[in-house]
Amino acid sequence: MKYGPILGAGAMFSLACSWAALVMAPQIQLGSLAPAALPNSTEIYPPARPGLAAQGAEVYRSLGCAQCHTRAVRQTQALYGVRLNELGGPASLVPGGADGKPLNLDLLLALAAVRHDLAIAPVPLPPALAGDTNVAPKFGLFETNRAILLRNDVKSGITRPSSGPTVNELAAKLPATILEKVSVEEGERGVKFLSDAGAKAELTFYNFGPDLDRGWGARRTVAQDYVNDSPVLLGGVRVGPDLAGLGTRAPEKFAAPWKYASTNTAAEFEQHLLVHLYNPRLLAKESICPSAGYLFDKQKPEVRFAGEPLAVPGKDTPVFPKHEARALVAYLLTQRADVGVADAPVPAVAKAPAPKTAGTNAPAKP
Amino acid sequence: MTTAQPSSQTACATAPSAAQVEASCRLPVLFLAFSGAAWLCAGAVLALLASVQLYNPAFMEGCPWVTYGRLRPAAVNALAYGFALQSSFALALWLIARLGRVELSAPLGLTIAAKFWNVAVTVGVFGILAGDATGFDLLEFPLYAALPLFASYACLAAWALVTLHQRTERELYVSLWFVVAALLWFPWTLSTAQGLLLGWRPTGVVQAIVAGWFGQNLLQLVLTGSALAVLFYFVPKTVNRPLANPGLARAGFWLLLLIGGWGGLAQLAAVPAWIPAVSGAANFLVIVPVLALLVSLWQTAEGKIAESWKENATFRFLLVAAILLLGVTLRTAFLGGASMQFTFFAAARTDIVLLGVFGLAALGALHHIVPRLTTGDDELPSSGLADLAFWAAVLGMLGVGVGFSLAGFGQGAVNASASKDFLKDGVTGIAGNLKLVTAGYAALTVAALAFLANFGLAVRRCCANCCGGAR
Repeated sequence: MKYGPILGAGAMFSLACSWAALVMAPQIQLGSLAPAALPNSTEIYPPARPGLAAQGAEVYRSLGCAQCHTRAVRQTQALYGVRLNELGGPASLVPGGADGKPLNLDLLLALAAVRHDLAIAPVPLPPALAGDTNVAPKFGLFETNRAILLRNDVKSGITRPSSGPTVNELAAKLPATILEKVSVEEGERGVKFLSDAGAKAELTFYNFGPDLDRGWGARRTVAQDYVNDSPVLLGGVRVGPDLAGLGTRAPEKFAAPWKYASTNTAAEFEQHLLVHLYNPRLLAKESICPSAGYLFDKQKPEVRFAGEPLAVPGKDTPVFPKHEARALVAYLLTQRADVGVADAPVPAVAKAPAPKTAGTNAPAKP
Repeated sequence: MTTAQPSSQTACATAPSAAQVEASCRLPVLFLAFSGAAWLCAGAVLALLASVQLYNPAFMEGCPWVTYGRLRPAAVNALAYGFALQSSFALALWLIARLGRVELSAPLGLTIAAKFWNVAVTVGVFGILAGDATGFDLLEFPLYAALPLFASYACLAAWALVTLHQRTERELYVSLWFVVAALLWFPWTLSTAQGLLLGWRPTGVVQAIVAGWFGQNLLQLVLTGSALAVLFYFVPKTVNRPLANPGLARAGFWLLLLIGGWGGLAQLAAVPAWIPAVSGAANFLVIVPVLALLVSLWQTAEGKIAESWKENATFRFLLVAAILLLGVTLRTAFLGGASMQFTFFAAARTDIVLLGVFGLAALGALHHIVPRLTTGDDELPSSGLADLAFWAAVLGMLGVGVGFSLAGFGQGAVNASASKDFLKDGVTGIAGNLKLVTAGYAALTVAALAFLANFGLAVRRCCANCCGGAR
């Protein structure tokens, strides 16, 4: 090679390629992200940080907390489920259930189609309704369809247990969990079957991963979580626990578990974080987090509002958190990336248990 | 070479002698080399102090200036900008002058620009310690240090390119390809990253993506490229053979340029999945050019490696740097994904490239360049100190690389399973490995000091020669 300009042009071209792919393309895709309303809600996420927390973000950056703490929760798997909320509107209901409750006969068939591991019991026509020309044929049709279903079962090799729980019992108590921890296709199919039968069903979510098992969050973090941050401090090494969901973390999920002593949990949580800043080893003996004692005054500072003093465990005299300490704690308390967003939903009810139990309630493989 | 152009004929007629070329390099290259080594020493000490806090949190507790969160970025940036980039300028200027057979243009201007670079790095390191770090890896210097840094770089690069333009040897050798690419590449990435992250500030995770892209370009193309420039200059020179298989080297060069800039984001969290996927694929593909380049070097040196190892201090450094280059490429390709995300294993890549691949190659090259520019010999005055620098640097690199990697495996196991206790397995359980890292940084400090002492001896001998035996 003899000509410098050719070399330079080639180098610039290859740089332009990587620039276009890894700087321009992400900016086009993500650059317009902004706080937005949550699905089915008017709540804006992520909410703007209050002033004190915004100042705390600067303290977090300045002290280099991000050198040891990540703010990113990972998830290894997402599974889905179906929950039945309502039997349906008047059009799809017939009287005649136990204790005078209405029945949705189509739903029973749909449930049987979704749950191959449950039997479908016959529903006898109550004698009182035998003369009702509106209702009686529906019971007859149900019995016919049930027979077809059972015949099709035999054809496709499905064997339903003869005893044990039935779909009739499943539909009797609402809300009912119809499917648990299944693939998205199975979940959506289940919701469609139940909705077609006139019932109200919804897709539920199960998120799995060691981070979630550890109680660090309810879902993986996504780009939406960081749109209010500048600079965005994701962190690179987990020398300390992840902080993305710290604001809503349960005390027993801390690296050194603790318990609330009173009902004023908010104040206690704040107190706990302040003690962590003052000396982390008062809370966890093995912690290697350096103490930020310089964020505290030993004497009551000569300002009009010094704030509440902090009682330090094992120390007679209280210390006075400086403004930076309070700001940093306020910032940490705003770390609550566990609201379901469109591309990372969260379980609406109780948190999913460990994935070891996955599949016990899933339909049997045909 | 065959087509005799009039311009090149006159150029050849006016080509300066080797002594003239070296005389023009003396001031700027020696200044850059000395400051680079001094920053290596300072950065290694800062990194050592930071690493102690990883298992002994009470060490230097109570002062925000020396807390881990500030010491570690100060150390990494001192090593990246103070040592690595500064030494790469010294090497680039030397290679352009020697391979282009041309006197450096504006040696005094280059020296002044280098001086400003050092001032900017000093201000930046103190800025980080004072709490003004930006929070982006490898780009932590605050704006008031970043701007003068870019300005002095612009001067250095401009004069380097002017010198390149005036070269009398028109044919560009492989080493110069890497040098030119780095000279053009670095200002673009630096200005893009600084402009975006310190000025315009895009929304959300785009910032993390830009920072990751810059870090990858700095490590993979600018610094690894400079290390390869050194390897391609000194390996054929040491074994006294022409470069075998230049076609392979050319293919490797272009492929590295095309693929190298795409890695680096494979472990980024909370971004669209295509970004880590593309980066992970690039981390794999980059094995091809790296292997092509190393095979070309291997074919050049084949059969004379043991002999050169014994005879030549520079060659020893370069051999270890080449092995580390292969190692870090494979390591990033196979374990650079989610399994080692958020661990010291991933973070150690910066250290290995800065101090191992580039650092060892640069120290090796300086063991040849510094004596050429001072005493005029081929080796530094004290071979004992040269041996000490080599072994301390290699052992130090081993300590840092192995220590961080083992610690990373421990953290990776904790990240992969919630049944492991975070504090017991992930924090106190890796303390032993981190002590190895501290020892590694201590050894690297010793290596830098040994080189600086040798440097001092050479300068002293040079001065004694010039002053005509004042004593």
